[in-house]
Order: sequence, then structure tokens, then C-alpha cells
Amino acid sequence: MRKVAIAGGGAAKAGKRAASWRDLVQEAGKAMFENVENLSPKDVDSIFVGAAQPERFAFLSYVAPLVAEYIGVTPRKVLARTELACVSGQAAIRYAWNCVATGMSDIAVAIGVEKMYPPDMAESQTTMACVLDREWDGVNCFSAPPFFAVTAQRHMYEFGTTEEQMALVSVKNHHYSSMNPIAHFQKEVTVEAVLKSPVVSPPLNLFDCCPMTDGSAGVILVPAEDAKKYTDAPMYPIGSGQCAIGNVINNLASLTEWVPLRLAAEEAWRTAKITKDEVNIAEVHDCFTISEIMEYEGLGFCEKGKGGKFIEEEEPYIGGKVAVNPSGGIMGCGHPLGATSIYHTIEILKQFRGDVNKGRYVKDAEVGIQHSLSGAANQHSIMVYGREPR
Amino acid sequence: MSDVRIEKITRPETIKLPFMLDFYPLQDEKNTKISPFFKKLKEGRLTTTKCKECGKLLWPPRIVCPECLSDQLEWADLGTEGELYAFTEVRLGAPLGFVQDVPFCVGIVRIGGLLISTRIDDAKYEDLKIGDKLQLKIVELDDERVFFRFTPIK
Repeated sequence: MRKVAIAGGGAAKAGKRAASWRDLVQEAGKAMFENVENLSPKDVDSIFVGAAQPERFAFLSYVAPLVAEYIGVTPRKVLARTELACVSGQAAIRYAWNCVATGMSDIAVAIGVEKMYPPDMAESQTTMACVLDREWDGVNCFSAPPFFAVTAQRHMYEFGTTEEQMALVSVKNHHYSSMNPIAHFQKEVTVEAVLKSPVVSPPLNLFDCCPMTDGSAGVILVPAEDAKKYTDAPMYPIGSGQCAIGNVINNLASLTEWVPLRLAAEEAWRTAKITKDEVNIAEVHDCFTISEIMEYEGLGFCEKGKGGKFIEEEEPYIGGKVAVNPSGGIMGCGHPLGATSIYHTIEILKQFRGDVNKGRYVKDAEVGIQHSLSGAANQHSIMVYGREPR
Repeated sequence: MSDVRIEKITRPETIKLPFMLDFYPLQDEKNTKISPFFKKLKEGRLTTTKCKECGKLLWPPRIVCPECLSDQLEWADLGTEGELYAFTEVRLGAPLGFVQDVPFCVGIVRIGGLLISTRIDDAKYEDLKIGDKLQLKIVELDDERVFFRFTPIK
């Protein structure tokens, strides 16, 4: 197996965009190719397109050749769309990584896209509600907000986590996204504003929830030995872990401990030959404030049940134990399903390059992780990136 | 102004609720091999499949045991009373088809050794608490399909 590098990446501005699904892809493709040197779209031999629900959001299937056409790529080795709900983008990176590592591909693109603002938002909610088992959980209206609401309720019940602690996650992530020009939101929020925002599904208020977002982002993967041809500052995937347990709510390992996250993390540390204490940047899936609290715990940054205290003590801020979501996370940057993981991968690349605003720069970072979860938090995926190959 | 003609065309203003926007599963024997689940539900019985080979209770009902791959499954009653494990209320962001019911409670009920999701009818969020006893109820759609929900025992 060859070592692999991410040579560069680019993204469309995330948000509620006056742009179509395919406009977004073109913006991201242009930004991505302009981020590397000595490489044109025609050099790309493989492409993976992370798109969670194009059938619903854009009334399109078979999107890999469509995206290839729009960004000028004529793949001759491997191509496919990758779908894993909110992790579709990381799935694209994983396949591109594997293809380059095995020698099946020499230059692979992983690009994600989602257009989530149709004229009627209830339609988007309908679309999202078929991610959880539609016939047995979706039918009971268990889409994302009610599911994470009952998760939060049980976490509060079992561990004493508070709504104020959850609000602090939103405050932190909006603080960082306010300094991120491609983020969905560039406004700070206060604890009071979070607690007083409209109730979506108690105990979750609007500012406890990530937004729906239009966006697209892509990265280019090449053999590590060739990376310096395309950039002075590549980034290297050095490990990964992925785990799914059960799907319908009854078959989850636990509502209040994300066992698949713990197992994925163990595998990520093992394959990257690091410990959790070596992680400088953690871009994690804060789809809801409770999610990030449970991720501090599942990744081992704090003890089980102490996630609320961890944010209270400002440990996940830059300068604390580990910088969690210096991009602003999903809460601040937005969550265009198929592109989300790729936005946050590009964030780690920019951090390594020192290409971010001072207020959210993690100085001297050597290791970053990008974590995404999907569905009823029954599936967790972690990629570990290094500034240097290992 | 170009002399190219612009013709207005029409499309139907409304269409019948399409299958692809219907949350409720198809239930008869022409469409699913677990149709007995829905027949029993019509009789007021909440059931699921249990593997005759390895004894595993399987939710949702299915036709092959994922533990031992046996297709020898039997129907087991889960009872009609459960206990509330977790709950919330849908206030914003309901999908099409549910919007007219907002606000409404949903939750997870512990019943027959399972933790299954459900709508909780005839209840306000403020009046519920973890551990409350719940009673099975059945709802019937206009095309006679059925589904289960729960309601608090006063």
C-alpha cells in the first residue's frame, strides 16, 4: 500500500444560497482545482461524489458522471457516488484514499454536494425523515431533531447534563464560525440567546441545532511521493476508524453512550499509531449541541458523563485540552450532508497551512481528526490527518 | 422583442399523495411478507418475530434471523402496556404529512423487552415523565392500513 496525500481542496460558500445543486458543484470544483498547481481536471483518473439525497433534493440520480462532466473530469479508473447520509463526503474521501493507496488510481477527486433549500422547507424535512428507518422510526416522526432530543433528555437524566452546558457548545462554535468566511453563520450567540431561541423538540432549541445548508466541497488525493508536485503543504491521511452497530432505534447499542464512536476511535488511534492526547484539532459532528458533548466522551477527551463539565471548563476551546471545531463546526458552518465532512477536512488542511484567521488558528498543530456520524448515531467515521506522513 | 412564441402550459395543481411521500408501510400480503404483523395489530395485538432456532426476539419483524440465518420465525406478543423510556415533542420542522398534527409527542417505549419508537397520543409534553405507564392504541388510515401508537394510562 502506498502512502497518500491530500494535495489541495476548495469549497463553495456554505449557506442558504441563490444557486442550484450544479452551480454549487461548479464553484467547489473551480476552487478545488485552483488550490493545486500543475494539475488540471483532465489529469484526474478517478472521482467519488458524496451526495446523500440528490433524488430528493435535486430530483437526480446517477450523479457521479454528471459531476465529472461539470468539473471537467473524464475518469478512466474508478468512479461512483458514495452515500452514507451525513457521512457521504467522508465516504468519498475513504474510497479515493483506498484507490490511491492500492495503486488503482493515481489522482482521485472526492467531492461532496447537497442543496437542501427547496422552495418548501417541509419537503426537506420529509426527505431527512427517511434517513432513520422510515417504516419503523421515521413513521413516528423520528427524524434528526426528535431523535437527538430524546438522546439529550436521557443524557440529562442519567448524567445531570444541563441545557446551559449544551448551549455553551453552540456559543463556542458560533464564536469560531464568526471568523470563518465560508461558514453558513458569521454571528456570535450567547447562552441566553440559545436558551431563548424557539423550541424545536425539547430540550433542543433552534440554536442547539445545525442548520440545513446548501454547499459543495472537494479535495484531491495523490500518492504521497508525488504530493510536492502539486503543493508545498500537503496533508496526509494517517489512520481511520469506522463502526456501525444496529440501525432501528431498538437495536442501538445504547442511547447515551455512542459505542460505535468509542470503537471507531480505538481503531483510529491504533491505525494512526497515536493516542487521543496527540490530537490537536478535532473537527467533530456537532449536528446538535448534545452530539458534541457526547463526542468529547466517546473520543475519550473526558470521562463518560462529564462532557457537559468539559465544555463548562472551556477544555474544547483553542488553548484548552483539544481544539474542537475551530472551523465553527456544523453548527456554525452548516451541514450540506454530502459535503459536510469534506468542508471539515479542508479546515484541517487550512489549519496545517496556517491559512485561517488568527482568532481561530491552532498553532503548531500536527494531528487533526475529522469525525462524522450518521442516522441514529449508529454509525461513526473518523479520519486522522497528519501534517507529516507517518 | 423576439418573435419567438411563448406558450403557457399547465400541470395538475394537486396530485394524490404519492407512495414515495407516504411514511406508512404497505401492509397486505401482496406487498410484504410480514403482513401478519398488521393483521394482528388490527386485532389489538402488538407482536414481532422471534427466531425458533436461536430464540432471539427481533425488532422490527422480519423473515430471516440475522443472528443464525434461520427462516423459521414465529410471532410473539409484546403485550399492550409499556413504560416511557424517553420522550420529546415535535414543535418545529415536522415533515409533510405530519405538519397538521404539530405539536405532538413522540418517544421510546420499553415493552416486551424492546425499546421501540412511537407517537404518544393524548399527551402534553409537560405532563409526561420518564417511567410513565403507557397503553397501546391503534390508528387506522383512510385506506384501512393500521399502525401502533401509545397513550398515557391515567
